[in-house]
Amino acid sequence: MTLVMSLAVAVLVGTGSYLLLKHDLVRVVIGMLLISNGANLFIMAAGLSRGAAPIYPLPESGVIADPLVQAMTLTAIVITFGVAALLLSLIYRVYLAHATLDTDSLAEAEEAEELLAELETGTDDAIDDGEILARESHVA
Amino acid sequence: MILIAPLAIFWIAALGLALANGRRRDIGMLGLGALTAGFAAMTRVTLEVAANGPLEMVAGNWPGGVGITLRADALGVAFAMTAIAVLLVAYGFELAGGIESRTFPALTLFLATGLTGVFITGDAFNFYVFFEISMVSSYVLTAYGEERRQLRAAVIFAVVNLLGSVLFLFGIVSLYHTTGTLDMVSIAARMPIVEENPAIVAGTLLFVALGVKLGIFPFHFWLPAVYTGVHSSVAAMLSGALAMIGAYGLLRIGAGMLPRELALSAPVLIALGVASILYGGLLSISRHDPSAVVAYSAIGQVGYILIAVAIGGVVGYGAAILFTIWNSMNKTLLFLSGGLLNRYAGIAYAIGGLSVAGIPPVGGFWGKTAVLRATLIADGHVARAFLAAVVVIGGGLSLLYMFQSYGRTYWSAPEASATGSVWARTGIVLVAAALVVALGAWPEPLLALSDQAALIFEAPTP
Repeated sequence: MTLVMSLAVAVLVGTGSYLLLKHDLVRVVIGMLLISNGANLFIMAAGLSRGAAPIYPLPESGVIADPLVQAMTLTAIVITFGVAALLLSLIYRVYLAHATLDTDSLAEAEEAEELLAELETGTDDAIDDGEILARESHVA
Repeated sequence: MILIAPLAIFWIAALGLALANGRRRDIGMLGLGALTAGFAAMTRVTLEVAANGPLEMVAGNWPGGVGITLRADALGVAFAMTAIAVLLVAYGFELAGGIESRTFPALTLFLATGLTGVFITGDAFNFYVFFEISMVSSYVLTAYGEERRQLRAAVIFAVVNLLGSVLFLFGIVSLYHTTGTLDMVSIAARMPIVEENPAIVAGTLLFVALGVKLGIFPFHFWLPAVYTGVHSSVAAMLSGALAMIGAYGLLRIGAGMLPRELALSAPVLIALGVASILYGGLLSISRHDPSAVVAYSAIGQVGYILIAVAIGGVVGYGAAILFTIWNSMNKTLLFLSGGLLNRYAGIAYAIGGLSVAGIPPVGGFWGKTAVLRATLIADGHVARAFLAAVVVIGGGLSLLYMFQSYGRTYWSAPEASATGSVWARTGIVLVAAALVVALGAWPEPLLALSDQAALIFEAPTP
């Protein structure tokens, strides 16, 4: 049982980490959810005892399952759920603002904005004229 | 009962204000009132703790070991007071200029709830829950302003820190599995009989998770993009209040619950601390925008906390506590004043810069001195000389980058046409600067509190 649980956690966290490294923000969010659910399963697996359901009246004989890990998992699931909703709404806003969910395009947009800001203030004494021209053509 | 009061005030006010439109000035004032009331309640708890020692309360009057405990000791209240004060100043700053989002007051109060809870809980899983409350509210706060760069910053911040939170959860659950309890005092008591390997795994997971929050050297990559992208008041909240969780976790979990593993990892902590100080200091010099300078400076400053924690003992932990408190105040002052371009904000920025560099009349001097004093008691002559040299070099670097950025921002910048709201914000920044100077001139309360807080690691609680 321990082996099955640890394999399941490993697969969830592994696939989640793989998706997290992707360039598409939707995959990043899905990866995050897989990792979080790996953690939830890990909590269940960390229970100190396995047995009958821990509901009163307790059985006279035999072990009962550790109720604490179930309470913790429930809390963690609720948190995962809330965070998932938040992340999805956040990347939706990013999509509305940039019309893309590709991390490379977002990084490019960021660089372009920074260059524009630098050119507008013009306080950066490190830039000579040639570089400004090169950057302007890049922005355009 | 008085222990629950600050938490209850923040939480109820946050729930109430979540329904209201925070853009309205009266709602904003209500939020300010709730924060002030919570701060007052926390002050009362602090006075009680300073006079009579730790306060403890078990939720629902369950017998000990069953219910969830709240426990306020000197360490917790010192951090909670600082965090709430930072939130109060940053919120006041935003209110003075006009709040742009209807959720801002409620989110600030949720953040205050989470932070207060983290600092006064006595239960490891509850620590995680409060930790998540403050993290989730700060994810939303990062997007405050809702321009393109803030949204990008929020995505980076949320994804990286969520990963950190999941690692933290893994670590807490590992602690539960190895010790069979979630009560922090019981975990600390049972830890010595736990085998070394599982304890090291749990400790490493927790350290990485807390390192991400702190933004120390190899886990810092998210920090500059976020701190430069967000509004200056939100940057002040994140670096002044939220990052304190990292330092608190290192002390509470590392020094309080896993002292054996912490001692084992001291060389790693010192290496990362030194790398953070040099990396942050050198990159700050190369930056131009004041918020980028302060962001890289934040990476450098947490290095001192790591070094102080690695040295350990009452002197080391005391230095880490004192330095964290000063660091929060400095960062708040710098992020807030860095967003304003006028002569008076320049004065506040200069005071913050002096404080970061540790120049005597201003308060940060006491934090730096404490860390320097801790390095002088480290084991071995070579290590002692090396660490003291790093602290001094780091101080020199911070003086250099702070005044480079001061000169560039306030000497060459045109005098911005000031409106009423800018003056109100400048006033708040100046009050905060005056507070930093005053606490530097009369540091006795802070020194006493941090000494008392460090003493809890001296006598292991049964």
